[in-house]
Amino acid sequence: MLKVNVENITFTGDGNKQTLLQNNKFELSKGKVYTILGKNGTGKSTLIKAITGLLNENLFKTKGTVFFDEYNLLTIESEELRNIRLNAIRYVFQDAITTFNPLKTFRYYFENSNAQKADIVSLMKYFLLPSYEEISKLYPYEVSGGMAQRLSMVLAFAIKPELIIFDEPTSNVDYAISNLLLLKLKQYTKEENNIALLVTQDINFAEKASDEIAFLSNKALSSFKKNSDFFSQQDDETLNAIVNSYNEIK
Amino acid sequence: MTEKLIELKNIYYSAESDNLSLSKKDTTDILFDVSFSVDEKEVLGICGESGGGKSTLAKLIAGIFNPTKGEIVLNNKITPQKNKPREIQILFQNSSDLVNPYRKINTIINEALKLAGIKKEDIETEKKKLIETIDINPALLIRRGLGLSGGERQRIALARLLAVKPKVLILDEPFSAQDITSQINFVKLLKKINEDLGVTIICVSHDLKILRNLAQKIIILKEGRMVETGTIVEVFNNPQNPYTRFLLSAESLELSYDELQNRN
Repeated sequence: MLKVNVENITFTGDGNKQTLLQNNKFELSKGKVYTILGKNGTGKSTLIKAITGLLNENLFKTKGTVFFDEYNLLTIESEELRNIRLNAIRYVFQDAITTFNPLKTFRYYFENSNAQKADIVSLMKYFLLPSYEEISKLYPYEVSGGMAQRLSMVLAFAIKPELIIFDEPTSNVDYAISNLLLLKLKQYTKEENNIALLVTQDINFAEKASDEIAFLSNKALSSFKKNSDFFSQQDDETLNAIVNSYNEIK
Repeated sequence: MTEKLIELKNIYYSAESDNLSLSKKDTTDILFDVSFSVDEKEVLGICGESGGGKSTLAKLIAGIFNPTKGEIVLNNKITPQKNKPREIQILFQNSSDLVNPYRKINTIINEALKLAGIKKEDIETEKKKLIETIDINPALLIRRGLGLSGGERQRIALARLLAVKPKVLILDEPFSAQDITSQINFVKLLKKINEDLGVTIICVSHDLKILRNLAQKIIILKEGRMVETGTIVEVFNNPQNPYTRFLLSAESLELSYDELQNRN
């Protein structure tokens, strides 16, 4: 269970203080897929990074609390936080390729993961990746962006974290992979009783994958609504525009 | 009257990867016997799953790689001339990263126009036209790359290419980091560039529904082989290849695990 109460996140990088997000409160409970929808540049990625204190402290200030079970992740000892990031909360970032060290082959990531080799192998097969041996020899710059994103998914799922967070999971992969991820998310939350949190602008994927959806605009997140309710009651202008665009291209 | 602008004849491509161990070179076969042509002022979509060779094909047409076997014939309207920018330009997948974050947009565009051989006194007029074409706020000119959104930087990268007045514009997954509203606006922009400036467009994307809105003709690549080609109507209404049918049905995101694993 994750309980987020972020009063504000401010950015002070360029000298001026700028408020990026304000009054963001939500709770995630086990067995569900949650999605945060929003346009480019609304602060979706900032919000999910703030959850485990991944924002650069010199540039961003986060005020509030984030409770993961009984731990407040914003004040917890760094060793404990590291442990949670390793085993309990895992991210799959949008630009997955840059999350790997270019000087290390994937063997390093496979062998230094806390996961069982058998789990990695079967997840790689699931996500239609080449064999464990083949990928082990490769450096991150030798795989495509989509492949890096899938490998990042494999490494995250293999640990079996209680909370798995995806930033734009469908931006670099094709429909077959999106479809596989969707099925995996359902199994991972429903059968294995974990939590998945997605941030995306892909309405189609959000609609098919999520149990509950919230919309981020004007620095604040709406409350999470059931999937069907979310799409039937669009009271937000921006959201309306996005849904209309989606229908235009469909 | 349409005319073949670029013709690919039985293209094969294998990549050699330098292993850091320096002991041996691995080759990977990427494209097999790909043949098609692009007409003048056409918009062609290239679609397929990731790792299927789409980006490689785009880079071959752009002349960045040379085919291992086969031939790419350019119409004599595209004449490679020394010391002149190429008439086939490519917008890379990570184009927004290619805009220098520390330089002013104005400087970046001026430089592109200068390289395109525009005379000093005409630069301001050309720049105004360019800004209008790519539809960005002129106020952005005084900003630096750092302060722009990914979508804005992508348009600046595009402006830089259009400055040299290319005959052919190749785009590699231009929609992947955009939200749906930006995607639609970008499709409209590309259509405008095609219709108003007469630029032939080749667009690589894994997103069939966007290509349906943009292209006139489409090519489906599967594991380096061209499995289907035709007009948008032909391919979407009456797909011949099982893989094309698979791609079309995968868009629904409603396939089962077995259907996904056993795709043709």
